[in-house]
Amino acid sequence: MSHKTAVLLTCASLLALSGCSRAGTSKPQIAFITNNAADFWTIARKGVEKAAADTPDVTIEFRLGDGTAAEQKRIVDDLLAKGIGGLAISPVDPANQVTMLNDVSQRAVVFTQDSDAPDSKRECYIGTDNVAAGRQAGELIKEALPQGGKIALFVGKLDARNAQERLQGIKEAIAGTKVEILDIRTDDTDQVRAKANVSEMLVSHPEVAGLVGLWSYNGPAILNAVKDAGKTGQVKIITFDEDDETLSGVKAGAIVGTVVQQPYEFGYQSMTKLAKVVKGDRSVIPASHQIFIPTMVIRQSNVDEFRTKLKQLRGR
Amino acid sequence: MKKELATFLLLVALCAVVTALNPRFLSPANLQNTARLIGAFGIFSLGLGLVIITGGIDLSVGSAFALLGVLLSIMLTAWRLPWPVAVLIIIALGALMGAVHGLLVTRLQLQPFIVTLCGLLLYRGLARFIAADETKGFGDASGFQALQRLATGSVAGVPTPFIALVVASAVMWVVLHRSVYGRYLFATGRNEVAARYSGIRVNRVITSAYVILGVLTGLSAIIFAFYTNSVSPSSHGTFFELYGIAAAVLGGCSLRGGEGSIVGILIGASLLQVLQNLVNLLGIPSSLNFAVMGGVILIGVVGDQMLQNRSRRAAV
Repeated sequence: MSHKTAVLLTCASLLALSGCSRAGTSKPQIAFITNNAADFWTIARKGVEKAAADTPDVTIEFRLGDGTAAEQKRIVDDLLAKGIGGLAISPVDPANQVTMLNDVSQRAVVFTQDSDAPDSKRECYIGTDNVAAGRQAGELIKEALPQGGKIALFVGKLDARNAQERLQGIKEAIAGTKVEILDIRTDDTDQVRAKANVSEMLVSHPEVAGLVGLWSYNGPAILNAVKDAGKTGQVKIITFDEDDETLSGVKAGAIVGTVVQQPYEFGYQSMTKLAKVVKGDRSVIPASHQIFIPTMVIRQSNVDEFRTKLKQLRGR
Repeated sequence: MKKELATFLLLVALCAVVTALNPRFLSPANLQNTARLIGAFGIFSLGLGLVIITGGIDLSVGSAFALLGVLLSIMLTAWRLPWPVAVLIIIALGALMGAVHGLLVTRLQLQPFIVTLCGLLLYRGLARFIAADETKGFGDASGFQALQRLATGSVAGVPTPFIALVVASAVMWVVLHRSVYGRYLFATGRNEVAARYSGIRVNRVITSAYVILGVLTGLSAIIFAFYTNSVSPSSHGTFFELYGIAAAVLGGCSLRGGEGSIVGILIGASLLQVLQNLVNLLGIPSSLNFAVMGGVILIGVVGDQMLQNRSRRAAV
């Protein structure tokens, strides 16, 4: 009997509580969900915070994933239970999360950001065109190696969509030139292996003329391995993203250039646009259901300016 | 000795095959690269071997690398502590973690697997929290260049991590094979109850093995941190404990405790690094990296077991 009373009391208090919270947040709620925890998302978070400041009539939440689809599912379920109106997610495993995204899309507006799931019923994708980013890197390679030469590529996982797209872009850009891709080495995001892969490439193929890092930590890994081998300047380095060390390398001239995304814009634009859609204004979604935030090429000439901006965004 | 011999023969055979296929295997640059990695991975493998000999295990090593690496970066770049102080603190923290593991295992009779599994989760989480999910780097090492040179440099062409491994091995060899303490360690691992009744202070012996592992983990953590020159808290050192455990087991340590040798662990650690090196040198696709490692190790242990069965039969 006492058990039953306890259960009833618990239910009653829970109902009361949820009633309270619902009454307190009559504003529409939207959320930004990352795929994992990385520096990249720290910058995106600033954009999300700016969006929250600019749209006070919408509650905006920022949630970090842990690199697994399971954690994202848990976060999404959580948010749906709270009555979320829309979310912008960077799916960890787009191909296999289509069902989940479609389920969510029946109860909330779904945007994808950073990584797309084009086969799902998401309303819009906001992020980088990685093929275009790859082409920009390809242009840097051509510029660094006007006579052509052998290059090696380094990445965490080659089956990741952005790796494939960046590779495709690079291949498109160097097609018809004398630049030849010697090999692509993967490291499963183990940074020690990432650097060892480069060191060993320099040993097994001393003729290699260019090294390209497709993921952010590959930049420092290449830079340090080349430095250790005493080949700074002799081997051309082209990288992606804005790791501190990568930027120092660009500044010092050891790296030809790095292609960077604009995560701040991912955060800001996805949230402000999602806020509008949730409030009923669908005009912000283009017919293509894709909004590409252009990538930028950072070289020695503009690295200082970029660094200053980045410092402001990171707040350090 | 039999067990080490089989692994040693496998190592020699592998080196011979790789040299035949790509003579650059024996080039100074490659030997230096590989020796550096053997040093870094070997040092903590020694400690892990010791713990395994007592019948224990430690799964938290990789996460400890991330936590200690993050703290090292903060102490050196943000707090600007003198580097000898920072190094001492890191090693002391490693020892403290080991002591806590050891005390939980001996005083509370908890299973080493679960204690250190909690460590794996706890340290990873702490590392990410403390670093606010940002990569912690060492930049140009201004103020602690001496430490950077010490951790990444070479003496007469021999990488310092390898020298550190040789020194650590010599000390550990005396401790394990030529001291009373070493006898106690084997006795405790083989039969804890019998050891206790023989007057061995089993709790102290086991705890001290975890403390030694902690000290060596601290040392390795510094080497790894400077090898990559930055520590990304969510991925740094992931699964490295498995390399240590595999090195120890390959080198003849029994997971049931009571068996193992320093020379064996060194051979095991070397084998694992040579396996990864050969994948790159022979241009085997990176995707096959783990498959090659798994396959060769399996061949090794199957061969070893068959040899042992035969000699046992011969003895009967």
